[in-house]
Amino acid sequence: MSTAQFRLTRRSVLAGSAAALAAPYIARAQGVPLTLGILTPLTGAGGYDGPRMMKAIQAVAAQVNDAGGLLGRKITFVIEDDQTNPEAAVRAARKLVDVDKVPVIMGTWASAVTSAVAPVCWESKTFLTTTSGADTITKLPHQGYLIRTQPNNYLQGAKHAEFIASTGAKKVGLLSIQAPFAQPTQERVKDVLAKNGSSLTGGLIYEPNKTSYRSEVDQILRGSPDMVYLNGYTPDVSVLLRDLYRAGYDGPRFTQSYALTSKAVESLPKEVTEGTYTVQPSADIDSPAYANAAKLLGIKDPDSYETQAVDWMSLVALSIAKAKAATGTAIRDTVRSVSQGAGTKVYSAVDGLTILAKGGEVNYEGASGPCDFTDIGDIQDCKFRYLVVKNGALTFLKVV
Amino acid sequence: MENYLVALGVTAGLYALMAIGLNVIWGMAGLVNLGLVGFFAVGAYTSALLTTKLGVAIGVGMVAGAVAGGVAGALVALITARLRGDYLAIVTLGFAESLRTTASNETWLTNGTDGISGIPGPWRSVLTPSEFNLAYLALVVVIVLIAYLLAQRLSYSPFGRVLRAIRDDEQVAAVAGKPVLAFKVLAFAIGCTALGLAGALYAHYTSFVVPDIFVPLLTLYIKMALLSGGVGNNRGAVLGGLVVVIFLEGTRFITPYIPWLGAVQAAALQQFLVTAALLVVLRFRTRGLVPEPPDHPILRRT
Repeated sequence: MSTAQFRLTRRSVLAGSAAALAAPYIARAQGVPLTLGILTPLTGAGGYDGPRMMKAIQAVAAQVNDAGGLLGRKITFVIEDDQTNPEAAVRAARKLVDVDKVPVIMGTWASAVTSAVAPVCWESKTFLTTTSGADTITKLPHQGYLIRTQPNNYLQGAKHAEFIASTGAKKVGLLSIQAPFAQPTQERVKDVLAKNGSSLTGGLIYEPNKTSYRSEVDQILRGSPDMVYLNGYTPDVSVLLRDLYRAGYDGPRFTQSYALTSKAVESLPKEVTEGTYTVQPSADIDSPAYANAAKLLGIKDPDSYETQAVDWMSLVALSIAKAKAATGTAIRDTVRSVSQGAGTKVYSAVDGLTILAKGGEVNYEGASGPCDFTDIGDIQDCKFRYLVVKNGALTFLKVV
Repeated sequence: MENYLVALGVTAGLYALMAIGLNVIWGMAGLVNLGLVGFFAVGAYTSALLTTKLGVAIGVGMVAGAVAGGVAGALVALITARLRGDYLAIVTLGFAESLRTTASNETWLTNGTDGISGIPGPWRSVLTPSEFNLAYLALVVVIVLIAYLLAQRLSYSPFGRVLRAIRDDEQVAAVAGKPVLAFKVLAFAIGCTALGLAGALYAHYTSFVVPDIFVPLLTLYIKMALLSGGVGNNRGAVLGGLVVVIFLEGTRFITPYIPWLGAVQAAALQQFLVTAALLVVLRFRTRGLVPEPPDHPILRRT
């Protein structure tokens, strides 16, 4: 036996297996994909919206990848479930930030989850995009590492009240679910109604997950309102609509479009929903960005969450391309230079990337709205899209 | 990666601390407490409010959180003095839920569903985030170690023996002249002190508390920790805390290897795997990974 012969020692096995493990990593290094984070509710209360936002983000990324990727790299995602639970969400965010080292986390939905995840993000210089509407979120000391495409409660409350007053309603009853938006919205709606020659005759906050809201409804009807605003989510708004009908109320009702989806309208009796107005933040109806998003997602009327998700991914792609760096800080520092300003107006990520590649400036106009942000990460202004239930179907009313 | 592991260590430590507390109440005294998260919330809110609104020192806030947890525990034990088994479980579950509802509605005190953000962390301003993480892990490990040693002492003291006697047969213990109610209240208070302290530690670690954190799911995680670790055994409690966190987080790394699953199915599968793992542990280790020892570890029965 010559000593030169290869011997299978523990050391050589170890070296060999280490090399084998490292090989795919070295091979990958030539076209390292760009990994971004998605943290949405895939289970729990947000389980209806989370998966749709995820698909919208992925659809934009697929389009960007087809057009050559970002900084010459393909976009891939690590997707984690926030379980609509702040405690679970923090653990998931930690994993995205520390293990996957993503520069951006997109998709938190519930306000409590966003408030819990935000400190993890800004401490690790990771950018966060969200739909949570609570006014307090953008007031956190996030150092710019957070934007939200959802108008805050202050803006929403004002627009809703203006619309309600414009329908000629003089006495308005407002029922809000117990959530961060409940109290601020009530106060704002009250103020703006008063300015528009109308008034809030009754406002109350109810607990979620009840099977009957008859006592709440009776309390609101005591003010004999000619408009009832239901500010909650689908499960409770469905019950409230039924209870309003049973209580003999036949005036108009007003609610958020996420609370009365077309699916909910189908499942409720016609007389229960007839004449109910719904509202959602929206782009201009003739905005090319909205049409682009609808085409991309293959849906006729993408809702507010889907369009916001389209906008996050588009803004993140444009920011990374312009900054020529995929870090949270780069996105933070660049996002406002692609979302607003004097650049060429673009309505999709791919169009914007083409212009940026030629050295031009862009101003992304989103599917959910103009996507112009204030210093603290709120959107500056936004249109609202109103629908009304006619003959048991949601029909378009107007965009204001 | 290190940061992630350190953060998991902190979470595991907090779960272990809660499991030690639960072990005093359930493992030793046999009282079914499904309101763990309520006492955790009392500790978290007490310390958060004291430090953010009154500017109390963090250490003082934590001690106050622990004390508040203990006092709440004693009160609940007194109120439920005549309840046992399932009835006690339901009442404690209700206690935690009503506490959560109170926290989301008493906006003047708790800031309601907006929660309290910006809760200070010890040395947070002078340390980098990863140093803070490490320092906090050290703090939690030391506290868990102390809690473990105290609980061990308790377990093998005459007090612990009485608790086990009450667990095995309350009437016999009473006949032997032991004031059963006083022991139960004390067991509850001691266990809930650990829960309250864990809550305070959680609040200062994540810097944010909100009623949505205190859902019954967390109670079940701790129950799971003690069940899989070994009811009645403090070592089991600590091990169980670690095991649950490994289950919860480990499943994240398994599902990406199942390519035909979409993200939504993968998320559901994660929760399914956690449950399945628990079932497997309990099927093959009915008394947990480290069963309750029949004897004193040093003074053996001959």
